Amino acid sequence: MKMLWTEKYRPRVLNEIVGNEEAKRELLKWIVDWQRGIRDNPGVLLTGPPGIGKTTAVYALANELSFHVVELNASDYRTAQSIYAKVGHLTQSNTLDSFTSGGVRRNILIFFDEIDGIDPKADTGGLKAVLDIASKKEVPIIAAANVPDPSSHKELLKSFKVIEFKPLTPRQISILLRRIIASEGLSISDEIIDKIIRSSRGDARLAVNLLQEAAAGVDIEFVSTPMENLPFDILMKRLSSSLSITEIRNLLNSNSSQIEDVFYAYFDMILRSGSISLEEKIRLLGEWSKLDILFGRMNKKRYFSLFRYINMLLPWLIYSANRAGAIYDGRIPQYRLRLFILNRGAREELNNLYNTYLKGRLHCSYRKFVLEVFPYVCGYLKEDEYPSLTKLCKKGGYGVTW
Amino acid sequence: MVQYMKIRYGVPFQIPRRLGDRFKEIVGIKGVRYVRQQGFVVSDKSALDAMNRILIKMGLILVPDIRCFICGMDVECDECSYKDVCKRDAGSCICSTCMSREDVVKRYYDTQRTMLDQALH
Repeated sequence: MKMLWTEKYRPRVLNEIVGNEEAKRELLKWIVDWQRGIRDNPGVLLTGPPGIGKTTAVYALANELSFHVVELNASDYRTAQSIYAKVGHLTQSNTLDSFTSGGVRRNILIFFDEIDGIDPKADTGGLKAVLDIASKKEVPIIAAANVPDPSSHKELLKSFKVIEFKPLTPRQISILLRRIIASEGLSISDEIIDKIIRSSRGDARLAVNLLQEAAAGVDIEFVSTPMENLPFDILMKRLSSSLSITEIRNLLNSNSSQIEDVFYAYFDMILRSGSISLEEKIRLLGEWSKLDILFGRMNKKRYFSLFRYINMLLPWLIYSANRAGAIYDGRIPQYRLRLFILNRGAREELNNLYNTYLKGRLHCSYRKFVLEVFPYVCGYLKEDEYPSLTKLCKKGGYGVTW
Repeated sequence: MVQYMKIRYGVPFQIPRRLGDRFKEIVGIKGVRYVRQQGFVVSDKSALDAMNRILIKMGLILVPDIRCFICGMDVECDECSYKDVCKRDAGSCICSTCMSREDVVKRYYDTQRTMLDQALH
């Protein structure tokens, strides 16, 4: 199997990393000061979007100064117990704080990657454990985060030295690509290189991946685009007005966190659309059901490899639905409605409605009632009896007789 | 008449105007902070744009001074072919003269090595 160029050309020393020169200098200075005993901050927090060299800088730094990196990904180690079990002992005794690797005695550096994945409230004591270990100032600690939340990660931002990494400039991306092109002896047209630079939007990892795909003959138009994260409403409007499969695919790829919402919103649109014939509706919903099975398996059994099929099929289905005449009218997707029932009045009215009239008749759970029954009966609610609920339904576009 | 003033991201600078009530408005911008006795620090282009929307009323426009990492000259972003996709919030870039050189990659790595070696010692 061919090696990924992001691994093959991963910089081993700091000066091989392109971009963020000042940030790297600061990081190096901090660790040098640490070794000299100047320990003003208990640790360093590297912030910035993915793919711009935060993790690479830590490993390159460790390699240059002979540190052994003990890495913890905050997605895997969240609780205080698991963090102490993994690295707690490293700070307890000076005699243990070094490793011997290849005959070279190496000091330890603890690296908490994706530390913004730790929720100070939901993950009991995880962040506190990190701060506690860091406060001992026995071992240098570096953490990395994409977007630390100023309120929930307040303590971390306050005590750690924050070094911001920024996306690379197009010319810096060009330097990076030139190096690989020269090493691989590639002959790629300037037009494609220009397209890669523009598509990558400062993401070095994406640029290298795009270059590898371009070298393999893949059309750059069809490979992944950087994250856009459009507001859901705008994304739906743009998707439903797209009549090009490439445009739909690019929109989904650049807003991949909302794919499931898009899927359910389209289900709702097809179901209610008056302009789609009954036969076409049956056909489309049949296809949608197959995709729903894939979604279900992926989420229930954690088979995330199935996502590639969803990613491939969904653009085609959206394309078919658009061609058939599905129109987005701004309605909140049915299953998302639950998220909107946040105000106390509406919730109480809903509980009352369910418990008083429908519980014994429907023989279904409250959740099933909210998600699958309520959106289609709320049009019949009396406004004076359920003021909050009817207001909410109007806001969400529910209660339309179809 | 509008006055243009060059600033560097992350480096404090003083505004040659009496700000009055606008001071609060400026420090309220995300990405702008005030360091006592040193001045304002702007972190990126979006913060700079927001600041300019206030300062233009006082006849002042701040423009980012992005220097070439290799030679230290002005990068001249307005003449760059990528100005439409660049956020211009990096502290440095590479000027067109250096980019046109054959050995730009080597020179970039060498300049960086020199800078890092200075930090090491």
